[in-house]
Amino acid sequence: MTTTTSNNISFAETLPALFTAQFGNAGWPGRKAALDRFQALGGIPTVKTEDWKYTNVVPYFKNGLSIALPATPSITAAQLEATGLLLPDTYRLVLVNGVLQQPLSILPPAAQVTVSKMSEAAALPAYTQYFNNSKKLEEHHFAQLNTALFNDGLFIEVKTKAQVEQPIHIIHLYHNNGNLLVNPRHLWVANEGSYAQLIESAAAFDLEGTVLVNSVTEAVVAERAQLSHYQLQTGGSKLRFINQTMVEQLGKSLYNNYTFTLSESDLVRNNLNISLDAERTETHLYGFYIASGSQLVDNHSSVDHRMPHCESNELYRGVMMDKATGVFNGKIYVHEDAQKTNAFQQNNNLVISPQANIYTKPQLEIFADDVKCSHGTTIGQVSEDALFYLKARGIGDAEARNMLVKAFAFDVTAQVKIPAVRKQVEQIASRYLSVATNN
Amino acid sequence: MSAEQDILQELAGREYEFGFETQIEMDIAPPGLNEDIIRFISAKKQEPEWLLEWRLKGYQLFQKLSMPTWQNFKLPEVDFQGVSYYAAPKNKVKYNSLDEVDPELLATFAKLGIPLEEQKMLSGVAVDAVFDSISVATTFKTQLHELGIIFCSFGEAVQEHPELVKKYLGTVVPQADNIYAALNSAVFSDGSFVYIPKGVRCPMELSTYFRINAKNTGQFERTLIIADEGSYVSYLEGCTAPMRDENQLHAAVVELIALDDSEIKYSTVQNWYPGDKDGKGGIYNFVTKRGICKGKNSKISWTQVETGSAITWKYPGVILQGDNSIGEFYSVAVTANKQVADTGTKMIHIGKNTKSRIISKGISAGHGHNTYRGQVKVGPNATNARNFTQCDSLLIGDRCGAHTFPYIESKNNTAMVEHEATTSKIGEDQVFYLNQRGIDNEQAVNMIVNGYAKEVLNQLPMEFAVEAQKLLSITLEGSVG
Repeated sequence: MTTTTSNNISFAETLPALFTAQFGNAGWPGRKAALDRFQALGGIPTVKTEDWKYTNVVPYFKNGLSIALPATPSITAAQLEATGLLLPDTYRLVLVNGVLQQPLSILPPAAQVTVSKMSEAAALPAYTQYFNNSKKLEEHHFAQLNTALFNDGLFIEVKTKAQVEQPIHIIHLYHNNGNLLVNPRHLWVANEGSYAQLIESAAAFDLEGTVLVNSVTEAVVAERAQLSHYQLQTGGSKLRFINQTMVEQLGKSLYNNYTFTLSESDLVRNNLNISLDAERTETHLYGFYIASGSQLVDNHSSVDHRMPHCESNELYRGVMMDKATGVFNGKIYVHEDAQKTNAFQQNNNLVISPQANIYTKPQLEIFADDVKCSHGTTIGQVSEDALFYLKARGIGDAEARNMLVKAFAFDVTAQVKIPAVRKQVEQIASRYLSVATNN
Repeated sequence: MSAEQDILQELAGREYEFGFETQIEMDIAPPGLNEDIIRFISAKKQEPEWLLEWRLKGYQLFQKLSMPTWQNFKLPEVDFQGVSYYAAPKNKVKYNSLDEVDPELLATFAKLGIPLEEQKMLSGVAVDAVFDSISVATTFKTQLHELGIIFCSFGEAVQEHPELVKKYLGTVVPQADNIYAALNSAVFSDGSFVYIPKGVRCPMELSTYFRINAKNTGQFERTLIIADEGSYVSYLEGCTAPMRDENQLHAAVVELIALDDSEIKYSTVQNWYPGDKDGKGGIYNFVTKRGICKGKNSKISWTQVETGSAITWKYPGVILQGDNSIGEFYSVAVTANKQVADTGTKMIHIGKNTKSRIISKGISAGHGHNTYRGQVKVGPNATNARNFTQCDSLLIGDRCGAHTFPYIESKNNTAMVEHEATTSKIGEDQVFYLNQRGIDNEQAVNMIVNGYAKEVLNQLPMEFAVEAQKLLSITLEGSVG
């Protein structure tokens, strides 16, 4: 099955044919409905769509994208090691093009966590209850596209009151010979009173051509559950990402999200949507992104405070080098019933090169009066005074700059609770920065 | 808490204090919008051919442009054909003194608390009173004339200084800027024109009182202010409107041009009829205001206090083209009952070392919705551009809303852009503190609100600051809990 679009015709035009070839008209009717919804939203969004004003994805959908997954290559443990992503003392789930590879994985104990391929999870109660059920899914073009086209993904259910001490490391590998659009679909449920830490990393494996990853992750954090979610967006320039993460939080739950974009990808777009559906929840969103070359990193987040006494806290920092573009759009909605809400949001950008672009739009929409909400955003550069201070103490220009940028990133990276993750993030970040500051 | 409730109800039920209608004979064009009407307006005002053509071009653009959809409120359908585009007091004699002015007209101004005579005598303000669409009285003209300052109605400027009007009209707000700007350029009736010559510091605050009066006449003023090199002018605009049940459209265009080393300060107090407590009636205030700091070291400062109108929709902006130029925007917007405000500013940094400062204070009460929408744009050549933005919202009552949409775009690594926003309600502890000192709830709330808005009110010229404070108290009368 090698259905591809030709170079002259846009992906959107051939989509119905691709869809029929891949899935036929039988099967789960939700696919067809999502495809219709995707078309109704206008198909691939252009820069005229408000949410995609600064991010032009149209060129990425031009050159002969295939939606059929290639045969899974055999991967040795040594090859996996060579990605440099492995973390010590973690459970490990390896996915190739969104499909779980059991032999390479180290599963957490079944008494605590159920791990399965999405394609094999349909009978599980949590699947029927939560799958494709997230609020706002239908507002997102690419979430609908994913629902229409997804092949597989990862189902994780942390059992009631299970305390999973070791982090679960999910390694996404992407492999192809041509240009592929892959639509991984994940569903993660942290049941009542449970505790888990999930870490995601990504890398290309034996990749010729490019892979456009359009993923949807639905996550449910049930009553009193605590979930930490690290998205380490690594991977070479041949990978492009459009991620939708839809989180639903129930009473007294805690959700921490860490989105670190440290890749060479041309395009990274994160749509992070948090829905606070019950009282007394707590949410922390941390983001750090470095972009160089002509990369575009776009973080869109929205936090919906629907119920009283919830607290959300968002801190995103970015470093822009070369001709890179950084986009930030943070929305906080405080609905009418969400009294006693505390919501904070901050976005700071450090611009290192004259050609870098920053577009930032923190957005508050508040319908309740007894709230404390604030947002702040800054765009600036390395302070000359600080630089002078360091130079006066015998520190070279490049090193001084490096130190200042690291200090800028520190507020975010210091929030990482897993030492191994923090070390890895800092290593990758300083590798990028030293390249930039030495130029 | 119950006292707070009472106060809120009182607020919801407040009546519009300036609601009355003057019975004066008007010269009204039949409702409807077409080329004939535009020719009629142009002929009535004895305009030159180029201006008529300019109007007709505006009309063509109006027909091509579509209604915006991005605004944060439901745009009411406006029947452009149901509006009359020209209304002027019938008695079109030029007055030499105030005694000759229609006494009823004078009475109207008296009710508004702006007697021309008194202002002339006491406040040193030259008043160009626009009553509906035509200027009927201009004072202090001689004194300004001696300095070479031109301060007259737009119609007069077209007759007497066509070269200036032709040179600058539509250069800041192009006709195709938005549909209402296009409409205005087609049918604008009158407005004010100010030219400050080189090196002149205008010795008094220039002021125009606008007042919408005749039923069914949308008012389409056009204001053009030019500050030549090294000059300074402070311009005040204030408005009240009579009570009525039909919605009225108000689509003005204001253009400011600041040349080298000049400064323009533009202050607005807007208190048009906001509609009754169910949101019925009320003015639609859809205004396009923009200034350009064309020359180096120039400065434009907008200050606005918006308490009226059913819908306020405007973004007074500054294009910072000249090197070292400065743009400022200070705003207090109050929405009570079912009022809606979608307002903010645009600061476009083009020149080097340009600075902008935005202070926006929104107050929402009752079912009011207050939106701050702003854009700060730093172009690739705007080296060392600097922006500071602060937009705060105060919420009173649990059915109102406050929204913030700041767009920040930077294409220059030497730019420093800061934005901060907060939303909160009046703290019970603050009210309690004042209560303890013998200040009742209502007064306490008033003090807190006035303190909250002080940063902006301080920017207003004296005469206006008093009125603005009064307006704020009236708007939130007894209220803000």
